[in-house]
Amino acid sequence: MKTMSVSTAALSQSLRYSLVRAQAELTKAQKELQTGQMADTGLALGARTSQTVSFTRDFDRTQGIVDSNTLISSRLKTTQDSLKQINDAAQTFLSTLTTSSSGDAVGNVTQSSAKIMLQELTSILNTSFNGEHIFAGTNTDVTPIDDFSAPSSTAKAAFDAAFQSHFGFAKTDPAAASITAAEMDAFLTAAVEPQFLGAGWAANWSDATDQRIVSRVTLSDTTETSVSANDPGIRKLAMAAATISDLFDSNIGPGARQALLDKAVNLVGQAVGNIGNLQATTGIIQKRVSDASDRLKVQIDLFERQIGDMVGVDPYEAKTRVDALLGQIEASYALTARLQQLSILRYIS
Amino acid sequence: MSLSSALSIAQSSLLNNGRQTSVVSRNVQESKNPDYTRRVAIVSSLAPGARVVDVQRATNEQLFRQNLSALSSWSGQSTLSSGLEQLEISVNGVDNSTTAATAIGKFQQALQTYSASPSNRTLAENAIDAARQVVRTLNSGTAAIQSFRVDMDGQIAAAVDELNGLLAEFKDVNTAVTTGTRAGRNVNDALDQRDALLKKIAEYVPLSTLTRGDNDMVLMTKDGATLFEQVPRTASFQASTSYGAGSAGNPVYIDGVPVGLGSGGNTDASGKIAGMVQLRDGVATRMQGQLDEIARGLVTAFAETGTAVADRPGLFTWPGAPAMPAASTLVDGLAGSIRISAAFDSSVGGNPELLRDGGANGTAYVVNIDGNASFADLLIAYGDRMDRPMAFDPSVGLTSNISLSNFSTASVGWFQAVRKDASEGAEAKEALAARTQEALSNDTGVNVDAEMSLLLDLEHTYEASARIIKAVDEMLAALLAAVR
Repeated sequence: MKTMSVSTAALSQSLRYSLVRAQAELTKAQKELQTGQMADTGLALGARTSQTVSFTRDFDRTQGIVDSNTLISSRLKTTQDSLKQINDAAQTFLSTLTTSSSGDAVGNVTQSSAKIMLQELTSILNTSFNGEHIFAGTNTDVTPIDDFSAPSSTAKAAFDAAFQSHFGFAKTDPAAASITAAEMDAFLTAAVEPQFLGAGWAANWSDATDQRIVSRVTLSDTTETSVSANDPGIRKLAMAAATISDLFDSNIGPGARQALLDKAVNLVGQAVGNIGNLQATTGIIQKRVSDASDRLKVQIDLFERQIGDMVGVDPYEAKTRVDALLGQIEASYALTARLQQLSILRYIS
Repeated sequence: MSLSSALSIAQSSLLNNGRQTSVVSRNVQESKNPDYTRRVAIVSSLAPGARVVDVQRATNEQLFRQNLSALSSWSGQSTLSSGLEQLEISVNGVDNSTTAATAIGKFQQALQTYSASPSNRTLAENAIDAARQVVRTLNSGTAAIQSFRVDMDGQIAAAVDELNGLLAEFKDVNTAVTTGTRAGRNVNDALDQRDALLKKIAEYVPLSTLTRGDNDMVLMTKDGATLFEQVPRTASFQASTSYGAGSAGNPVYIDGVPVGLGSGGNTDASGKIAGMVQLRDGVATRMQGQLDEIARGLVTAFAETGTAVADRPGLFTWPGAPAMPAASTLVDGLAGSIRISAAFDSSVGGNPELLRDGGANGTAYVVNIDGNASFADLLIAYGDRMDRPMAFDPSVGLTSNISLSNFSTASVGWFQAVRKDASEGAEAKEALAARTQEALSNDTGVNVDAEMSLLLDLEHTYEASARIIKAVDEMLAALLAAVR
């Protein structure tokens, strides 16, 4: 009668399968203990692997956007500083004009202050940051503002031509002294304003575009992140400075000069307001970008935690697993050795 | 009864004892042979005294069949699992480092960096380089998948040859069994050989067996194709030396019936051959389809558009250019033939800044009309298009309305899900195969200890018989002395 049987081969092989399995587990557990991550995320997570891949990717992308936001913030900071300089210069210019208007300052002081204003304005507007002209709209590889004082200036040529065609003589002509205040006003409105506030600005003065630089500031949001030299405030300031610096000299009669002065005071007053608005707009953009960066940093933390939750391994757990497996394998070895010794032949000789 | 009959009984006992001892020693000798089935010497008593020793095999048909079926499933599953490992390393890379999803992520990052400073030509080159990396990933993924399929074909052909060889061997052994049985000889050794062959054949195809008169055996696969009946049927297969994406693999015919395509990670394919067919036609083909769809998604997302002109491929182009690939339709092999358009490639005289400006297909497609250096709208639009849902071919087995970047990660998810199932299935089926093997071995294998104790019994019987002969001898001697 045979109730139960076990074959010698099965007896000696029985431990082999579990031993091999334990050793395979051990290599995995060792790796997990060393790296703190799952040895094979694909096998552990299956279909959820797509999530870790996508989290890792979004993590990197978000990090990239935070980096580019830093760049944008620096550009905006430079813009803000430049606007402040323009504003300060405009204020100074305005006070000179006001003084001159009340008859206290001499003519050439007013004129040279206008020249300084214009030069300062031109150099600030032509500031470049990281190889990009910050006031050029999107056309950042060319200097946006024409230098009025340069001999080759198209703006100056156009301005002179406008004077010539309006009055029929050049401003150095003695006849210029007889221009009346009303005539000068008419000239400023009909011929000069189009040069600055109309189509002449883009043709002769500015290479900047009205379109601003658009940047992606979060994974899904984009916003305009630059200002353009074509802002009305800047045009008005340029017009005031250019007219005073060019015409406010002894060739022109006092009546016409007063008309120039009145117009310039009016323009600079408006310009200061406009530039203040521009500063505020820039500030809002700065805030938006830095808020976006803050949000992105929260997201990055979140991604990091999610990835950690999915592929991370508790080191204590991994360590205990390694210990348990080592114990199990040792027991297997000991048992195998004992089983090999277990033979009836040793007892029946 | 007489002294002489006592003597002859003792003699016959010695004879039987010899035979039983020879069975025991054979059992002990073969104790480590997994294909050996323990022999049992059955002693039948006939008057006068024990005479007949019949040697029988300790078979267990039920366990043997279970073991065959477990072997087939395990063989198929482990083939699938190890093939998936191979694909994982050659296509997806370690920790998914060379997947299309990862390359696309890097490309998106490069695009983002470029869109933040569009006037920087170095960043344009950098973005094009990242795009080139995406293309390289897709190209090399396709090459790896197709060479994997060719490799599988070679292995299938080898397996089919081995199967045919085993079937031819089976014929010889089966003939030995049937003729031996007919002649009334002891065919135990031939039966052992036949069972060993069955285990080998079961690794290639799942078996069902039928034993007929004279111990003749008929072999059929699980889906009913005849493998052996009197003569071996042929398994035939024509290996291909090269594969294009989308080209169908040649089927394996067993007696004219094609081997079916298994499905799922924990596959229903059984046997090595079916496992390889599933890898070649199921997994690899689907993986290729997904890569092709990713490539089509890229061509579509980076298409150049203009007013009153048809869309044209932009940064990513394909052999069908200037036409666009049809929407939501798989184009076989596109992942292998997708390229960076030469118009963007500065190494062949292209201009990487076309990525910012548009116009690779002519002035009608220029977006940055004034050529402004910090124009970022198009770059941002490209980024958006990769994150916007688009229609994918449902035949590649993923969600069909999903963004390109999510599609690429879903493809990784699909593959890893299959791989996880396959690996877990292989573990479970290996355990089952090991367990049934153990049970079979326990039931039909040799226990040396039992045999040795049997030998002790036999020794005692021998001693007793020898003592009887000696006693009879003494009695006869005493008798003869009395007569003398």
